[in-house]
Amino acid sequence: MASRWWSQSVLTGVPMGVVTALVAALLTRAIGGPSASDAAICIGFVGWAFGFLGGMGAFRYPRTLLLARPDPTAEEEHQLAVQGGGPWRYFRFTTDHKVVGIQYLVLGLVLFAVGGLAAMLIRLELLRPGAAAFPPATYNTIVGLHGIIMIAGTIIMITGPFGNFVVPIMIGARDMAFPRLNALSFWLLFTAVPVLLCAPFLGGFPTGWTSYAPLADQAPPGMDAFLVTILLFGGSVAVAGANIVTTAITMRAPGMTWTRLPIFVWGAAMTASTLGLMVFPAFMAAMVLLGLDRTLGTSFYVASGGGSAWLYDNLFWLMGHPEVYVIAIPAFAVIMELLPVFSRKPLFGYRTAVASTTAIVGLSVLVWAHHMFVTGWAPQLNGPFMLTTEMISIPTGVVFLVAVGTLWRGRIWLTVPMLFVLSFLWNFVIGGMTGLYLADVPTDYQLHGSLFVTAHFHYTLMGGALMGFFAAFYYWFPKMTGRMLNETLGRIHFWVTQVAFNVTFLAMFYVGLQGMPRRVADYSAQFAAGNFVASIGAFVLGAAMLVFAYNIVSSWLRGQRAPSNPWHAKTLEWQVPTPVPLENFEETPVITSWPYDYGAPEPTPEGAAERAPA
Amino acid sequence: MTAPQSGRHLLGALGTVVVGAVVVVGVSGLLRVLAAVPPTLRARPVGVVQTAVGPLTRASLTLSTYPDSLAGEHGSGGGAHPGWVSYGPTTNLWVPAHALVTVTIRNYDGATTLTDPFYGRVQGTVGGVEWVNGRATRGVPAAQVAHTFTIHMFPTPGQPLLDVSVPLPGVPASTPVGADGYPAPTVVTFQFRTGASGRYIWQCEDPCGTRVGGFGGPMSTQGYMTGTLVVGHG
Repeated sequence: MASRWWSQSVLTGVPMGVVTALVAALLTRAIGGPSASDAAICIGFVGWAFGFLGGMGAFRYPRTLLLARPDPTAEEEHQLAVQGGGPWRYFRFTTDHKVVGIQYLVLGLVLFAVGGLAAMLIRLELLRPGAAAFPPATYNTIVGLHGIIMIAGTIIMITGPFGNFVVPIMIGARDMAFPRLNALSFWLLFTAVPVLLCAPFLGGFPTGWTSYAPLADQAPPGMDAFLVTILLFGGSVAVAGANIVTTAITMRAPGMTWTRLPIFVWGAAMTASTLGLMVFPAFMAAMVLLGLDRTLGTSFYVASGGGSAWLYDNLFWLMGHPEVYVIAIPAFAVIMELLPVFSRKPLFGYRTAVASTTAIVGLSVLVWAHHMFVTGWAPQLNGPFMLTTEMISIPTGVVFLVAVGTLWRGRIWLTVPMLFVLSFLWNFVIGGMTGLYLADVPTDYQLHGSLFVTAHFHYTLMGGALMGFFAAFYYWFPKMTGRMLNETLGRIHFWVTQVAFNVTFLAMFYVGLQGMPRRVADYSAQFAAGNFVASIGAFVLGAAMLVFAYNIVSSWLRGQRAPSNPWHAKTLEWQVPTPVPLENFEETPVITSWPYDYGAPEPTPEGAAERAPA
Repeated sequence: MTAPQSGRHLLGALGTVVVGAVVVVGVSGLLRVLAAVPPTLRARPVGVVQTAVGPLTRASLTLSTYPDSLAGEHGSGGGAHPGWVSYGPTTNLWVPAHALVTVTIRNYDGATTLTDPFYGRVQGTVGGVEWVNGRATRGVPAAQVAHTFTIHMFPTPGQPLLDVSVPLPGVPASTPVGADGYPAPTVVTFQFRTGASGRYIWQCEDPCGTRVGGFGGPMSTQGYMTGTLVVGHG
């Protein structure tokens, strides 16, 4: 086991990763010659990931198993969870789920910062027609980076930090089912970030995050960085998903029956993670085939070689649309988790809510081809895919019914998390309703490829899911850090975000309806006014995010100390002390009731302790 | 929270916003510098010519296409991609509004069969012709085309369409190579009329680039086989 403070940390991981990458790339180039430059890049990046993880000590346990050595002792396991304590444990292969949760939280915020910066650059270019802040190729790469960073960020933003930190405590467990896999999932994700950020230095990728073939076959070596990023990210999501689902199934405390499971665990851990496990392999397979096309000269996606770009489209959207729900369902779950707390009422229609999210998961894998209506693939299936897509609005509507039913006649406590819950409801309704036009074949023929689509999915992913993240962030930040976020700055963040977001994307709906295409660095003068408004709105939105960033840093460093249960909530994570002890509970709790029995006339701490340890 | 604390927090948040704005502007400037936007070649007005549509400013442009990047704007070393085909001396062009523009392109590259024979036809030029080594023609067989000069842009209100596309015949493989390392070029000349001011994109439509289908690399990179054409005043 590690004894020196710097060993098996990023200080050893990064050098080992870099050296392994260089050796792997140079060897490949030496063996394959100049024509193997794409292969050298791909193998070099894979080498980086293996070298980094090796330097972090991720392979110590597999090596123990392979060499049939004795299992680690309890003391060694304890050491792996603690890693010497202090801030340095966040830079090591630490297995404590709470550390992994914080690691996900910080990395997610960093991803949002980089993706947000890219968004500002995009809107700078689109501020006026002919602005030409960057050449088109640079603009395309910025758009692609913004897209994939934000997609990755939103996928992990709830299940990563809160799924890891909160879910085990919520179900009465001492840790995740597979603590080592938990740490592996985070560090695998970490390895993907520098790979993606190398892409601009390798010529970028002109495809956007969708990486459509055959453009992806023709793209510069930056595309190799992109595809390896997806493989690493997909691996991380698979490992994390398997772990979270297994934890929720097998690690529940006595008495934590399926009908007593907090709705957040149902949403984030059961349904979203299962969905991620099912659909991400399709994207990974798409990238493997793309990699073979680019490195070995196969032609899976090249029509002249007998391949088909439709194959890529299908593989991509088999992941691409369910992935929207991998992002959205955890946000739904957060909303349903927080509404009873801040309405001081039981969750309305708990079983219906679980059934609805399950139905959304089931339907979400049957709708992918609505993204391909205009491609000409299987036009006889346009009708059925239109139907399945529109059907998904039924369980989604039921989730809204659950939310409104919970709010109805509640004693609304308008905290900052609750404000974001309400903004989720507002924005997601707009996102959902505009989605119906894109699910409908005739209107999709008109709107496809326009900024209307961009505005629509930003309303669902940003206006909806990201607001769910903000709600979760303000809600669980006190438990995770022991500090309260500043309320005034939180309200400024909320109001400026809500107004600027709607200004930005309503303007984008407008220019989209006028016919402005997406994915363009320049545009016709007729779209100037709408784009100017959208850019100004985006800059103000960026300012709101900086207020949020300042609030995080200042509150984390010097914020007011948080009580153990500032919201008087009833789920288990609020019944343990802050900071949460290493193994969460002194004794395994026994659950005797469901977590939403809010009946007190007003929020009082007395209503909080519903359950006691056995 | 006390009033001084609140004020301090608001000042801190404001400072963060200012720092963020500086970062955005700084990164934007850095990217612009790193991206190295190609210089602009201006077609200078040289008097007025009477045409069928009235008097027009006369202007001319001279371009070249090379099988590599050693002779254009990328310098003798060829820059980052010396092996890429390229237009020269630059790919960002400026021509006057309401002008008769004469363009001469010297092509030093061999033929690559067009993917779409449509681009073998001369379009949008005065008389619907181009002159290849002094001989007028309305088109070039797809298999003999080396590159094209094709202007694209979706119409903007007030900006006239400039639907110009000319094929550049390839240099025969048997042409001897000169002292400069290139064979004697095929010289293509054509004229087109500009209207009011506008901004356009032009590019080669022949699959002369890298990777699958020949449409990768230089085909999608400004400074090589694509660029801008600005029609303006002054």
